[in-house]
Amino acid sequence: MKRSKIFGMLALLLMFSVGLAGCVKTKAASKTKIVFWNEMTGPAEVQLDKFAKQFNASQSKYEVVPEYEGSYNGVVQKIIQTHGSGASPALFQSFDISTTQLGNLKLATPVQKFIDRDNYDMSKIMPVAKKFYSKNGQQLSMPFNTSQPVLYYNASLLKRLGIKNPPKDPSYSDITRVATQIIQKSHGKIKGLSVEEYAWLLEEFMANQKEEFANHDNGRSSTPTAVKIDTPAARTAMQWVRDNIKKGNFMNYGSGSNAAANEMAAFLSGKLGIFLQSSADIGQITAGTKDKLGVTFYPHADGHKANGVAIGGASLWISNDKPKNVQNGAWEFTKFLMKPENQAKWQEQTGYMALNKESQKTDTLKNLYKKVPAAKVPSEQLARTVPNDANSGILLEGLVQERVLTQTAMQQIYGGSNISDSLKTAEDGMNTFIKNNNKANGY
Amino acid sequence: MEQQSVPSKTGVVGAGHHSVSSRLSKAWVREHMAALLFLGPSLLVLGIFVFYPMLKTLYLSFFLTNDAGEGTVFIGLTNYISLLKNPSYIASLVATLTYVILVSAITVVLGLVLAVAANQHLKGIKIFRTLFSSTMGVSVSVAAIFWLFVFNPSVGILTQLSNALHLPVLNWMTDPKLAMAAIVITTVWMHLGFTFLILFGSLQQVPSSLYEAAEIAGTSKWYQVLHITVPMISPTLFFVMIVTLIDAFKSFGLIDLMTAGGPNNATNLLVYRIYQDAFLNGNYGQASTESIILTVIIAVMTLLQFKLLEKRVNY
Repeated sequence: MKRSKIFGMLALLLMFSVGLAGCVKTKAASKTKIVFWNEMTGPAEVQLDKFAKQFNASQSKYEVVPEYEGSYNGVVQKIIQTHGSGASPALFQSFDISTTQLGNLKLATPVQKFIDRDNYDMSKIMPVAKKFYSKNGQQLSMPFNTSQPVLYYNASLLKRLGIKNPPKDPSYSDITRVATQIIQKSHGKIKGLSVEEYAWLLEEFMANQKEEFANHDNGRSSTPTAVKIDTPAARTAMQWVRDNIKKGNFMNYGSGSNAAANEMAAFLSGKLGIFLQSSADIGQITAGTKDKLGVTFYPHADGHKANGVAIGGASLWISNDKPKNVQNGAWEFTKFLMKPENQAKWQEQTGYMALNKESQKTDTLKNLYKKVPAAKVPSEQLARTVPNDANSGILLEGLVQERVLTQTAMQQIYGGSNISDSLKTAEDGMNTFIKNNNKANGY
Repeated sequence: MEQQSVPSKTGVVGAGHHSVSSRLSKAWVREHMAALLFLGPSLLVLGIFVFYPMLKTLYLSFFLTNDAGEGTVFIGLTNYISLLKNPSYIASLVATLTYVILVSAITVVLGLVLAVAANQHLKGIKIFRTLFSSTMGVSVSVAAIFWLFVFNPSVGILTQLSNALHLPVLNWMTDPKLAMAAIVITTVWMHLGFTFLILFGSLQQVPSSLYEAAEIAGTSKWYQVLHITVPMISPTLFFVMIVTLIDAFKSFGLIDLMTAGGPNNATNLLVYRIYQDAFLNGNYGQASTESIILTVIIAVMTLLQFKLLEKRVNY
């Protein structure tokens, strides 16, 4: 009696699980699953999920499943360590500074292969972004979310306080002037300036003063063997921050995602007048405040012409450990994302620049520029930049390590340590790493 | 089982007694097969998830690792030497010890104070007992977000309070010393509920006759706590101390969410550094070395604690 009951239950369970497996199978058979790892948060994550939904609805062969994988820094090792296992993604987004390492590891099918096969027209795609993610003329990955560092100011606030706007291409002292006026005219209630303790911003100060970060032409001629962080440009930029701290203009929010969030919150609530950050924040700012937004080019040192800054952001890689049809699906979705209308929508929602030249003709972007003229500034900055080795990115492995070391140096400097000593410590740490890394990889 | 294995071994060596030895070795095999069957599953799991990773970690600590995380260049003890010479690693070591000692000391003392207070027979004391143990139900992420809000430089409660009272505003998350204080406060707050509950439970086991006798002898309350309460609950105190200490050593989530090791490595505790070196920087050789060093430190600390404190524990 008892035994038959148990058997009955087992049979039921078996039937249920077979039925379930059947369901999964039929669904999988009709649509190939494309797992897409990304690191987007906020409005970008929302928009990316929308794109996936639209793509899935637009055809019947592939089902793109976007998966948020955490921070840029953390995802690189996840990609490397899961490669070749069932847990690895079909398509992944990885940030600019991981490009050299991912390329050397050969984890992905170069998108060039698909471009050649489909005769995909790459001439529509923004050249600087294209170049950043290609090696020896071969496109390794598809540039996707692409930003530039810019300076944000609260134009309404400056008007209320009766302060003249900073020029479009400001020098350090232009910004110091405005920041000082903000703190004075608001009687200390509103902070003038914030520069997050974020190594990318320091790298960009150096690029903007035409300094190469790594030797061997920033890694373009051969594998770098050393970096220079304790340089005139870095010291000048850090001295500028220190001057503003001394004057009481400066607000230090620290480093990391909490710092960026606090900085943004302060700017949106009118407690901070100016800050430097990625152009990818434009979408969030315009959605978060009614105040008029001002954007300028990245500030440059006094007495030096701005050399232009390198792009930041991330690109899309098609993993080579997946069957052909899955890789094809990943490519189809990549093409979908690069469509003019989708790129325009992407810029409107996030602040990342539309990479398809035809996007500029869409109503989406025309309306955006009408509503927020400042949104045009990042692409203007990019357009006037003459590419050279200093402002086209750093081709070096282990830049994640460099970011941590440089960030620590910035924390020390903001806290009052000797500028040159702190930068030198980061430089020495990174050079030891490069020496070991080159040895371990046989470069 | 062990006793039987001894004659079986001698049986194998003594080749003269064939029948006896084979019978014995059969029994030996059967017996050990049974043991193996019982131990097998846990040995397998431990082997795969504990012993293999441990040995691999030890192995990698003697190597430089490449982009794929494989040990490629044998460098002997160089990883150990360069780490112990690295000022930032030594700073991490000091920060970890500071954090661990502060957290376990403050948690145990505060927990004891709360437990003694909650042990009084007063009206409405049950509400306080519930309140004191309530942080047990709070997850790390909730605690981190709650305290980050308290410490927020623009809109935080502390900032607003200082503004209202015209006190200087403290930069909790950007000043190295204050950041350490902030994570100590948060960790103590999180551990307090558990510590309180355990200590309170053991307080209730202390026979009231002891206090009555002390009362008759005319001793002060403070004297009673020091000479009756503490000795009577010393095994529990010892337990709580070790648990908080080991927990503090393993703190990761809170650090990751609140400070990410900064500012200036002030809160870059050993566990967090291992994570950073392995899973952000991909420097598995160095991370393995750090893991081995941490293991040794925790083992030594626990041994010391047993040796020093156990003598004073009144079981």
